[in-house]
Amino acid sequence: MAHVPLVPLGAAREQITDERTFSDHREALGEREHQLRQRRAEVHAGWGDKYVARVHQKGKLTARERVARLIDPGTRPLEVGTFVNDGVIFGDNLRSPGAGVITAFCRVEGRWCMVIANDNTVASGSWWPRTPEKIERAQTMALRLRLPTIYLVDCSGLFLPEQSRTFPGATGAGHIFKKNALLSAAGVPQLAGVFGDCIAGGGYMPIISDRVYMTEQAYMVIAGAALIKGAKSLKMTSLDIGGPEVHVHQSRCADVRVPNDEVLLRSLRAEVARMPSSAADYYRGGAGSIDPLYPTHELCGLLPPDHREAYDANQILARLCDQSLFWEVMPEVGEEMICGIGRIGGLFAGIILNRQGLVGDPEHPDRRRPGSILYRAGIAKIAEFSRCCDADGIPILWLQDISGFDIGAEAERQGLLGYGSSLIYTNSTNQVPMFTVLLRKAAGAGYYAMSGLPYDPVVQLSTTIARLSVMEGRTLAIATYNTKLDDDFEIVAATPEERQAIAQGMKAVERRIEQDMDPYVAARQMDTDEIIELGELREYLAALVEMSYQGVGYRRIKNPRIWSLHDIAVLTRGVR
Amino acid sequence: MKDSPRPARRPPPLFRRLFIANRGEVAVRIARGCDALGITPVFAVSTADRDAAYTQDRQTVCIGPGRPSQSYLDAKALVQAAVQTGCTAVHPGWGFLSESPVFAALCEAHGLTFIGPPAHVMHLMGKKTPAKQAMRRAGLQLIPGSDGILQDAADAQRVADAVGYPVLLKAESGGGGRGMRIARAPDEVAAAYADAQAEARAAFGDPRVYLERLIEGGRHVEIQILADRYGNAVHLGERDCTVQRNHQKLIEESPSPVLSEAERARALAGATAAAASIGYVGAGTMEFLLDQDGVLRFMEMNTRLQVEHCVSEVRSGRDLVIEQILVAAGHPLRFRQEEITLTGHAIECRINAEDPSDRFRPAPGTLTRWALPAGDPDVRVDTHVTEGYVIPPYYDSLLCKVIARGDDRDAAADRMIRALSELHCEGVPTTIPMHLQILRSRAFREHRYDTRKIPGWSA
Repeated sequence: MAHVPLVPLGAAREQITDERTFSDHREALGEREHQLRQRRAEVHAGWGDKYVARVHQKGKLTARERVARLIDPGTRPLEVGTFVNDGVIFGDNLRSPGAGVITAFCRVEGRWCMVIANDNTVASGSWWPRTPEKIERAQTMALRLRLPTIYLVDCSGLFLPEQSRTFPGATGAGHIFKKNALLSAAGVPQLAGVFGDCIAGGGYMPIISDRVYMTEQAYMVIAGAALIKGAKSLKMTSLDIGGPEVHVHQSRCADVRVPNDEVLLRSLRAEVARMPSSAADYYRGGAGSIDPLYPTHELCGLLPPDHREAYDANQILARLCDQSLFWEVMPEVGEEMICGIGRIGGLFAGIILNRQGLVGDPEHPDRRRPGSILYRAGIAKIAEFSRCCDADGIPILWLQDISGFDIGAEAERQGLLGYGSSLIYTNSTNQVPMFTVLLRKAAGAGYYAMSGLPYDPVVQLSTTIARLSVMEGRTLAIATYNTKLDDDFEIVAATPEERQAIAQGMKAVERRIEQDMDPYVAARQMDTDEIIELGELREYLAALVEMSYQGVGYRRIKNPRIWSLHDIAVLTRGVR
Repeated sequence: MKDSPRPARRPPPLFRRLFIANRGEVAVRIARGCDALGITPVFAVSTADRDAAYTQDRQTVCIGPGRPSQSYLDAKALVQAAVQTGCTAVHPGWGFLSESPVFAALCEAHGLTFIGPPAHVMHLMGKKTPAKQAMRRAGLQLIPGSDGILQDAADAQRVADAVGYPVLLKAESGGGGRGMRIARAPDEVAAAYADAQAEARAAFGDPRVYLERLIEGGRHVEIQILADRYGNAVHLGERDCTVQRNHQKLIEESPSPVLSEAERARALAGATAAAASIGYVGAGTMEFLLDQDGVLRFMEMNTRLQVEHCVSEVRSGRDLVIEQILVAAGHPLRFRQEEITLTGHAIECRINAEDPSDRFRPAPGTLTRWALPAGDPDVRVDTHVTEGYVIPPYYDSLLCKVIARGDDRDAAADRMIRALSELHCEGVPTTIPMHLQILRSRAFREHRYDTRKIPGWSA
């Protein structure tokens, strides 16, 4: 009976907030989350009913219908990259909802898979700028977690007017096939279903997969009939050139022909069922997933939408961890950071988050200082915790609500640059799966230190109130107008006109930063993987943690008896 | 050379010390199981129970003041006390924390074996919709209703029309009757749905509501299950607990006098298979409503031992506490279904310190005289009280349970009447007169009652 001394955490909503505050927060957030649902629905609609009808007319399913039939009944796909290219206009006023591809974690026959499906309601599934990057990002996630990867291919090739932005670069379309190869080299199963066009680059995507299925409408060609000299007079179609008749029987580039979409999707499910089953239940060690004692949906009334407002971070944990049980490690030091172990979906995860409000200052026991800032002990603590989790094979969840590093003469004297670098080295070299959530503030070096996207977490999620930036607008305005301000950052001006000009300039800087911090901006340019509702957070985290434990044999997973965390716990408590 | 004498067969090595996270009659019952197995029980006691006679000559640890929230419901204090007193297993009994998955998980996290099912199974059966879905999958009959949570008022209307009126709308996170509304006709559904949802949102912060047909009256029948960690499950027959007052059971008996043989066989087999299918471990009870058509419909599962388990023990000759402890220690079940024989008829009466002539007002006080029926091997009395016992005001007022066995129902009832007449209690009023009146009534003897009406008693 391995010892993980979990203890109850948190309190009922009535005990921590009054009804008014709770409903105010919930309302403010509810509005943003309502907007999120609307914007998701817009992306899900692709180019609209007309194009859906066109797909159906061909006797085919839309990409979303395919995904729905592929996954286990009663489950839903957990998408990433929904808002890539959101609001971006190409060519002649064209939009590419979701960059024309769906990438989603899906449960198929009980196993988590990465599903990559060309959206055939958006320009026949062609590839836009950032489509290759979105596919590659999904492949990277699959590679990191060793998730079986399923390609639902229906792609008419690159969107050629924008080819200069999709073809040549280091992450250009061809890099998708390199990822195919790397997945294969790492032993990750890949399956492909070809449902329709599969031209040029599209042709390579399925080929490297272990098993390739084709419907009778599908063809794979290096070049379609349009580019073949004399094809017209011979009445030759792309289907003649590269349909199942050719690829299943002559070239043997595909394995199986099936009559239609439905049968193909059933066949893919059958393939997944032949793979090893998930090891997650083994690693649960007899435990099961149990909801938190305090409901997750309360998060939307407990996390104040105003980033300046403090809250009790333990209450967040209490609404994410199974049964609201948690083992806080090293609680004695670095109070501004909380790190410890909880079960999520029955599986152990290391969780790191920022304490908010005022915290103690070890250098000045008589003083309190603001939390959500990285001070020396906090940095050292999370670096050590991160190393321990890596050594022990415990997936790490970084929950950010961070204003940045401590600044000033004392901070520099203490060498925060050095401690921060140690943390960065740790996070950069960790092998264990890490996942990052931008709960609210994700500012400056704090965003980096807590494994923001530049530090390669497998997935980074944002809430609708996430604020991702080097610094808050106000801070940047002060930095920009530094020469015009006094010690208290009040404007020093000779004339009222000058004062007004400075004030306006500062406001403009603030506004600009505020706009940039919109999570949809980050999601559009792939600076975050998905925007989620707070009520979905546990579902996403439980899925990601479960994926981390799905495979056996490719990463270290120590049993809790031999966690190095226990050594740290003993050492920091003082040896007795 | 002669063989050296073998030592007498002792109970198998088990937990050395077992923590009893309960009080009163429950604690005494568990301790009896421990004594039989050679385990030292450690009694958790509140300050209100510290000096009670039932804790004399026992190891006790005081866990807090009399108020249950500060003692018998304080999971952290109990776990700490269990660890500090060197126990390796915890028996939660019934009531208090016996159905708390958090307590179960906390015990396991701190090296204590929780005597009960795994926390996640307890959690599953504690959630209404998932529990029912699991039971439906396992082939049990349910009360007709929505397939889980209702989407909206239109959905409620559609389901209500399909299952027939009256219908009951219930909060998914509900309890204690809150978030419940009845609709007796189609035009009442929309309002009932809205009211139930609003109340559920206000009371539990969760507006999810489901619907089922309201079965008024009916009889309460439950099935005793015992399962081990290895997928084996058996039943120990059913109990009929139809004699109730405000959902408080008064008299329990086995077998049910009105259940058809075919329905009994179907439900017993179904319940056993269902328990195995969800990975149930330990003793548990599936509760059913016996409707007018004689069909048993699953209501909920109690993931613990119950007050009235003695009825099944008397008919089967098995000790459920002992079996629970063995199963928790990893032993496979010691018997198969066909090795369990249920004989005769057993009736249990719960004797409370309440005044039945004054709306069952609880009556704490001192027992100035307490004498139990003696000499009849077919009468069993489970109790923690003795003469001079002071009934604390914090807990339920159960004084004892009397269980009588007979070859048939009338014989058992007659024996119970004799036993209760020989039970002398002075100092506080008891429910004995009510029990006697029920047992002597024609309504009880002729099965003319349901859960709404106490047979032979009008108060």
